[in-house]
Amino acid sequence: MTEAPPEVPVWRTDLERIGLVRRILRARRWYRADWWFVAISSVLVAGFVVLALVPGVFAPHDPREQVGPRLLAPGEAPELEALVVPAGSGVNELADLVSEERIKVGVVQGTPSSEAVRDAAARVTERLRADGGDERLRIRVVRHETLDEALRGLEAGETVAVVGSSSELARVLDDHPGLVMVGPVDGEGAVAGRGFPLGTNQLGQDVLSRLIWGTRVAFLIGFASALLSLAAGLPLGLIAGYVGGKTDRVMSLVMDSLYAFPGLILAIAITAVLGPSIFNVIVAIAVVYVPTYYRIVRGQALSVKEELYVEAARSLGATNRDILRRYVYPNVIPSVAIIFSVNVADAILTGAGLSFLGLGLPPDTPDWGIDLARGQENIQNAWWLITFPGLAVMSVVLAFTMMGEGLMEIFNPKLRDR
Amino acid sequence: MHPLSIVFLIIGVPAAVLLLYVFVRGSGGLRRYVITRIGLTIPMIFILASLVFLVLRIIPGDPVTSSLGPKGSPELKARLRAELGLEDPLIVQYGRFLGDVVTLDFGRSLVGGQRRIVDEMGERFPATLELVIPGTILALGIGLLFGTYAAAHRRRAPDYALRMYGVVIYSMPIFWLGLLFQLVFAVKLGWFPVAGRIDAVIGTTVERTTNMLLVDTLISGNWAAFRSVLRHLVLPAVTLGLILSGVFLRLTRINVIETLQQDYVTAARARGIRERVVVYRHALKNAMIPVITLIGLQVAILLAGAVLTETVFAWPGMGRYLVERISVRDYTAVQSVITMFALFVALISLFVDILYSLLDPRVRY
Repeated sequence: MTEAPPEVPVWRTDLERIGLVRRILRARRWYRADWWFVAISSVLVAGFVVLALVPGVFAPHDPREQVGPRLLAPGEAPELEALVVPAGSGVNELADLVSEERIKVGVVQGTPSSEAVRDAAARVTERLRADGGDERLRIRVVRHETLDEALRGLEAGETVAVVGSSSELARVLDDHPGLVMVGPVDGEGAVAGRGFPLGTNQLGQDVLSRLIWGTRVAFLIGFASALLSLAAGLPLGLIAGYVGGKTDRVMSLVMDSLYAFPGLILAIAITAVLGPSIFNVIVAIAVVYVPTYYRIVRGQALSVKEELYVEAARSLGATNRDILRRYVYPNVIPSVAIIFSVNVADAILTGAGLSFLGLGLPPDTPDWGIDLARGQENIQNAWWLITFPGLAVMSVVLAFTMMGEGLMEIFNPKLRDR
Repeated sequence: MHPLSIVFLIIGVPAAVLLLYVFVRGSGGLRRYVITRIGLTIPMIFILASLVFLVLRIIPGDPVTSSLGPKGSPELKARLRAELGLEDPLIVQYGRFLGDVVTLDFGRSLVGGQRRIVDEMGERFPATLELVIPGTILALGIGLLFGTYAAAHRRRAPDYALRMYGVVIYSMPIFWLGLLFQLVFAVKLGWFPVAGRIDAVIGTTVERTTNMLLVDTLISGNWAAFRSVLRHLVLPAVTLGLILSGVFLRLTRINVIETLQQDYVTAARARGIRERVVVYRHALKNAMIPVITLIGLQVAILLAGAVLTETVFAWPGMGRYLVERISVRDYTAVQSVITMFALFVALISLFVDILYSLLDPRVRY
């Protein structure tokens, strides 16, 4: 060891006496451990927790409903048939055009516009009939070669209105200052007209909404399974480490075997047997991570047991339960907190892997793994379907991993850089 | 020769050489360590096999009904059940299962042609090895090289960047990385095939002896097929290698940092040896030992990663076989595949531990 700064022993002993919050705040001054690492990841985690608790507030659509056209790219407005009329004509929708005579509406030849106009006109007429009137919307479709020609026809008064695709109209309408686009011919299309920030999938579901609702599934799996393995691993580790002897050896052999086995494959086997449900996924992942807690807790319990103060307590007549509760248990907690944070991250990763393989969750669940598996089917033409759910998994896992790393630096300054 | 026995030869021959060396040249302490370690592997395999059996036998349904579907007549079901020995008491079934594990004969699959499971695994296991071995080599290469680089530049920009890389790659779902590679390099750029192991047409020209296609095509000098196999291998192997590299990078970095603080490194520096030589020759050499042990622990992550990578790239290995068999509810095959994985994990970690004890004289009983 080279020359150690003289204040080192002081903070090391002080560290044992102060609480979590003061520890985080003092860590930087004492041994250059960065609290902002914990701060950033906590904010991230808190944000995700809010999303997971009330996804309905943030998600614009129902994750299971078809809300738009299939495979719509992010931000792209869906193709709509829009109505164009001379500015200041007072016409806002197709129904305003109802009159005694047949009206002329211009469309471009060979586009879906003419069919859209007829359908819309039929709907308007139907509505008028239902209201008890005997009026009808009678339309004569005038076909033009190009959209520009159709618009010039409208300017010249040959037609009363023009119907064409909204995206093309947006391009050419600037050259015709006297005309305005008043909206879609079909009123119901107006809602979907704004497009979807992250696009839609092959079922016409909103990707963003599914992403937000997926947070809930990921957190449920992550937290519930981590808690379950904690509940099993902590007492098992305490017992093995504290009792020692044959009990310890047998338990350790079983736990080590389980630890060496590929977790995902074990989880695959368990979910395959239990059948698809979120509860079974939680159980399967929990089983996989029990040895992680067991090993750490056992090691800690083993070393604390040998401490002089435990010996002293025992010679003063403290029972095993007292020693476990007052000396061993508190020493184990910081490590458990770190493991828990990393464990949640691992569980979310494993859960995503399981559902990517099509195991575990019912197929209509809004879940990132399921979305990724479905996205692969359309990898040729829809990049957004695999990009965003993957990013979501990664950022959640990253937040928890960073939190674990930060906590580790603060609790175990001796182990920093590990 | 059966392809599966070739797989075991690949692991077995170096292991035998290692054991021979230990017993001919090794000290008493080393010999004792190796014997104890082998002694510990047998109960480990036993426990894992029993666990697999236990998990798969508490199935609420019954494998025969689920595999035959509603079409199966009661007589057919009864016959199949008797054939599979499902009518016997659980303890008898358990004994037979352990016998299967020892003799490595897992019977026939329940569905689809009822082929011998050993034969099916003989086709799949080499494919997985062909993916896993280059992946591990890549991960080790990246990890050792950049881990040492980060350690040498501790608390400077490259160190922070590489640590960030380690954390990010650890947080990335391996199947997502695979999908992104597929999207960018196969679909958009068209540099590599999207999925599969070899072009279907060229695949018919390959003479299969080991079922590790790189080896097979090399032996027979079938260069067109060799190139095709190589092109198919790049994306899945890189995916697997990159995901694993993060762990290796972290461990190398810590160990090199620790060795760089040792007295002999200071001595080497004092003698005026160039810093690069000190870092890469003196420090890395000693830091490598714990990294090698880590390979033993990473086998689990590696195999789990292989299952997902194989699914993404439609790579016909053990992982994909497992998922396929689960979807058709072929529990005999599922049980055999998982047992096979357990055997593989136990043997690899045994091998790595013995290697470690040879390299590091401090490890003895």
